[in-house]
Amino acid sequence: MGRFAGRWRKVSGLWKNSFLLSPRSQVYLAGRCVPPDSATVEARKQTTSMPTPHKPFAPRLTLVPSSGSSGDRTADSRPDWSTLMKRAQDGDRQAYRTLLQEVEPYVRSIAGRCFKQAIDVEDAVHDVLLTVHAIRHTYDPVRPFGPWLVAIANRRIIDRLRRETRRKAREIELSVEHETFPEPAANLDSNLSAELALADAIERLPPEQREAIKMLKLNEMSLKEAAKASGRSIAALKVATHRAIKNLRQLLNGERP
Amino acid sequence: MKTPDLIDSLVEAATPVRRLRPPLIRAALWLLLAVIVMGLLAVAHGLRSDIAMQLQQPVFVVGMVGTLATAILAAIASFKLGLPEGSRFWLLLPYPALALWVSTIGYGCLTDWVSIGPDGVRMGEAVRCFATLLLTSVPLSIAMLVMLRHAALLRPTAVSATGGLAIAAMTAFALSLIHDLDATVMILVWNLGSAALIAGLASAYGRSAFSWFASRVMPTIPPQLSR
Repeated sequence: MGRFAGRWRKVSGLWKNSFLLSPRSQVYLAGRCVPPDSATVEARKQTTSMPTPHKPFAPRLTLVPSSGSSGDRTADSRPDWSTLMKRAQDGDRQAYRTLLQEVEPYVRSIAGRCFKQAIDVEDAVHDVLLTVHAIRHTYDPVRPFGPWLVAIANRRIIDRLRRETRRKAREIELSVEHETFPEPAANLDSNLSAELALADAIERLPPEQREAIKMLKLNEMSLKEAAKASGRSIAALKVATHRAIKNLRQLLNGERP
Repeated sequence: MKTPDLIDSLVEAATPVRRLRPPLIRAALWLLLAVIVMGLLAVAHGLRSDIAMQLQQPVFVVGMVGTLATAILAAIASFKLGLPEGSRFWLLLPYPALALWVSTIGYGCLTDWVSIGPDGVRMGEAVRCFATLLLTSVPLSIAMLVMLRHAALLRPTAVSATGGLAIAAMTAFALSLIHDLDATVMILVWNLGSAALIAGLASAYGRSAFSWFASRVMPTIPPQLSR
């Protein structure tokens, strides 16, 4: 892998990882995603200008230890991703947190090329982070971290794009054009329209009957409670309810009370 | 779930992990298992009766070398492909050996076309062949699935295709070593047929088998996060 290390020195070299993806996948990415050059610029902008709550300065995109630096530290003396991952594999949670936080905007920029909706990008980022977590034992610290991460991100993003395509081939999203009738009420669900008709009919009852129905049927009060609340006798409430139901039947059958 | 919360849960679940050994070593371990399985089979069943005579024949030797080379190269390729940053060109590694193996079968077919005699192949031999086939391919498949379970999240189809090829070639090697199937048509059916069957099964069901194994053997994803 040593001869590939030079390729990963810069972010602009990342899209050259064509040897990682099959031609079909490349076509897939090329057809769906923003062309890499503009995306790279975007990614660079995004990662350098993105306000990070945890750090006073934005993370630098470091994919391999730069050749001039001493060992496992970058120019600004912060440990690079490779070192952080090595420590994380040994169980250092702080290093792991730093790594995930630094990697996240970068993964987001990769996902941002392929998904338009913010929620899709978020899901893809989660997917990639979960995968990184699940297979973090496959990372070998002697090799550069960048290709490892980008390969995982590309695989997960392609999987998501394929799943999305399959779903879209099966399902049709309902839009305004799919409504069958110009009258909005006609497009309502039949249960809903029945409920609306009932509510409308109750409103058209005489006040006494309406009150009785609301208390006894809709609010499910007992006869005693309803009598106490309304100040009417139990017998009067019973009669009112009986008449109300009769009237409702007529109203819902389209007759005048 | 928001990304910072996700990172919190992942950090919470971050236990120390053992790094994978280099792919060549892991391929060697798998091949060692194959050698053990074949050794046990050879002890239990014995080598084919005419092994000394067969080893004199160049076609047989070349065929065996091709089969073994296919198995070794395909195993290396699948372990290389199982890593996230492994180049997909590793897929091509076993092809030269595969070509050699297939060509010897074809050559044998042309020259020994009429070698099925009246006392050629008995039914009992074919049944024992099938037992050898199962006894070799099943443990090797399970070992391959467990060792490469992380590939479920990366490129299951490519890995299972090369893995299946390795298992198929190893099985064919065991068959030729143990059973004396002189009829070339039978060799063709057993070698190529079983290889095609195993590789086909691996490509068709490799993806789901990998996910099934990964979900059971790889509980590194915290349960509340697995979707």
